[in-house]
Amino acid sequence: MGKGSAKIENTIRTLRFHAGEITQAALAEKVGVTRQTIVAMEQGRYSPSLEVAFRVARAFGAPLEQVFQYRGEIE
Amino acid sequence: MTYKELNASVMILCGVGVAAWVGWQAVAVPALDLESVAWRLLYAIGLNIIINIVLMVLATIVVSIAQRDELKDERADERDRAISDKSMRNGYFAVSIGGLAVIVALAMGQGPDVAAYVLFAALMIGGLIDPVSRLVYYRIG
Repeated sequence: MGKGSAKIENTIRTLRFHAGEITQAALAEKVGVTRQTIVAMEQGRYSPSLEVAFRVARAFGAPLEQVFQYRGEIE
Repeated sequence: MTYKELNASVMILCGVGVAAWVGWQAVAVPALDLESVAWRLLYAIGLNIIINIVLMVLATIVVSIAQRDELKDERADERDRAISDKSMRNGYFAVSIGGLAVIVALAMGQGPDVAAYVLFAALMIGGLIDPVSRLVYYRIG
């Protein structure tokens, strides 16, 4: 969905595990999106807006770069 | 299956059903004049809306029983809005092509009754492309 979605990876699944296996629904509640959006993000099918990306990072208390990584080429 | 996916599926089902009914009526019982055609199409649009509501209520109850959990619509977030925008764009594109087809039909000497059917087809196709797009974007991304 998001632009360049194939090149943006994330570690949400790992971070959920380290956060005491917080559920997708609980994370969605914290971030203010639907559970389906969290599922789509984890599966790499959706790249969130910058605002939601920051909210996800804040929910884990982690810097943005630890949650999302850009794998594309920069010209 | 989420509420939004179910809603899209029901819209597709109703759209196909009503379009098939109108198509069959146009062939089997040709209308005599433009007014009859217009009333038939208005009836079909009204029928589509009513069937859609009834089927959605029934489908929600059936899915809720099957999942043993109430199927509720969640508040739309940015992904829902993005999917909605892209799906509407696809539907609008189809309706635009249909509008052009109406003008072409009239320019080719077709009667206004044929033009009315072409316009109805364009609206139905546009109305189908929207939920199909939603399903594809929700499922595939």
